[in-house]
Amino acid sequence: MVMIEAMNLGKVYTVKKKINFFRSEKQKVSAVKGLNLTIGEGEIVGLLGLNGAGKTTTIKMLSTLLNPSSGKITIDGLDAVKDAIKVKRLVNMIAGGERMLYWRLTGTQNLRYFGKLYGLSGGELEERIHDLLEEVGLTEASHTPVELYSKGMKQRLQIARGLINDPKYLFLDEPTLGLDAPVAKQLREMVKRLAKEQGKGILLTSHYLEEVEELCDRVYIIEKGSLILHDTPENITASVVKNYHIKIESSALSTFQQNRIKQGLSGCSIEFSELGDSTEMHIIAPFDPTALIINVCMKESIAIQKLELKRPRLEDAILTLAKGKLA
Amino acid sequence: MRLLSILVAETVKSHQHNFHNKLIYFSLLIWPALLFVTAYYSFKPFNLSDSSPLFAYMDVDQIPMFLLTGYLGYIFFWSLVQSAWGMSYERQAGTLELIFLTPVSRIVVMFSRAAGNLLEAVWLFTGFTLIVLVVTGNAGDIHWWNVPLGLLILSVSAIVWGGFLNIVFLFSRDAGILFTIFEEPMQFFSGVRIPVLAFPVWGKMIALIFPLTYVLEIFRDLVLNGKGLVELAEPFIVLFGVLAFLTIVSIFLLKKAETHAKETGNMVLF
Repeated sequence: MVMIEAMNLGKVYTVKKKINFFRSEKQKVSAVKGLNLTIGEGEIVGLLGLNGAGKTTTIKMLSTLLNPSSGKITIDGLDAVKDAIKVKRLVNMIAGGERMLYWRLTGTQNLRYFGKLYGLSGGELEERIHDLLEEVGLTEASHTPVELYSKGMKQRLQIARGLINDPKYLFLDEPTLGLDAPVAKQLREMVKRLAKEQGKGILLTSHYLEEVEELCDRVYIIEKGSLILHDTPENITASVVKNYHIKIESSALSTFQQNRIKQGLSGCSIEFSELGDSTEMHIIAPFDPTALIINVCMKESIAIQKLELKRPRLEDAILTLAKGKLA
Repeated sequence: MRLLSILVAETVKSHQHNFHNKLIYFSLLIWPALLFVTAYYSFKPFNLSDSSPLFAYMDVDQIPMFLLTGYLGYIFFWSLVQSAWGMSYERQAGTLELIFLTPVSRIVVMFSRAAGNLLEAVWLFTGFTLIVLVVTGNAGDIHWWNVPLGLLILSVSAIVWGGFLNIVFLFSRDAGILFTIFEEPMQFFSGVRIPVLAFPVWGKMIALIFPLTYVLEIFRDLVLNGKGLVELAEPFIVLFGVLAFLTIVSIFLLKKAETHAKETGNMVLF
């Protein structure tokens, strides 16, 4: 199967630390350590981690902009270091933010320039520009200078630029950074289409964990350059976050009723708070306690006014992991 | 074909990016024209007769032509220092990294960038020079059949120079020092205003550093003195050697710069 395979990937930067005006000291900083990663065709893979975890360095190594200090990257069997020029034809990278475009050029002119750098020309190039601008919804603004684009439009043009060489593999570094919810949703839908309909292998980094949960087939979580977890978003959540949270608003409860609920839900943590003529219960359980609490309430003739179940999300998993690392 | 496509892409990008405001014509024409006029009138108060110290090195009657050809050559070379300075913008905008993300030949991009920018920067002053020659009645002093060859040599030399500078700017975000080194010193020591032969030995040594020195010598001999290829064989060989050296150094530095960027990730620092 053709794919991207990174084996035992490492990157060490040498940074100069100034001691005084005349002297500086070289220090080695490991940004990525022994990372193993694969991306298959049509697969969306998430790369998560706190700031400085090594996500961008990993993406730049995969896209041939950085050489790994150790390990090996093969893309469809090609060595990303030795066959860098061939690999560059297969990949592209899109970063969030408003840089990486010529602001004084129009959308069409930007795409035409980058298309020529990929060896495209004539009718083929013009057709691809037309199709991409249509795909990202910028046809009407195609002859407007980029400096007059909104943030969302610039990001959509970035996506078009990243697709100009019709790459097999696309690396998205925070592609929805700072975008409005509707524009971010549009981009997410486009990313899904690129993977599922066009079979592109996509690596995605994002701080919006709901986005990762919605899009990614598999997720790698890295911490200070090392892999700490790799699985589907669902499995990661299930393995890291053990607790379900339920918030129930009911008719005012007597102390007797509160004790009955506590007895019926042994093993769970329950907090009661009075809200005038009603009571709010906050239950934390290592299992889904919905059926149990409804059963107890029915037995005790407690009227449930509102029930809110918060299932564990990927975000909870990351927060739990981060808490563990920061503690 | 591919080279031509990249050359066109770089020229068009440069035009679309730089010709955004009509003030650009000020720097393309008014500024170099002012430089020429200022230099010409700064000679006026001095003794320019046969007893002038300059007479030993040049025909003092040819001072306007000497200055005009000097400034034409200088504008060719200086415009590419400015163009290389524009690499800082590419670095800041993140587009430099995107160029290196593509499989395009880096050396082709660097020299095409120089060629594209040169074309944009010099056509107006070249036209101005021709008009001055006709209007001032000095057209007869020019050996016109040598002009195309002179301009070709000037252009090729400037492109090699510009490509080299673009590559130097890949190394560092602080390459702005080149601006200081190449503005006034290149104008003075390359023989734009005063013949290099008139310099003391240390001045002549400095002049050898600037490729413009070799180009101007040939350009003036072709255009003002009507010398032929055979007579100029020696300076041609020297110029060819200088340009070959610059090209080899450029190729070497480009490989170094990309390897360095792949090790350090410095292409995004600004």
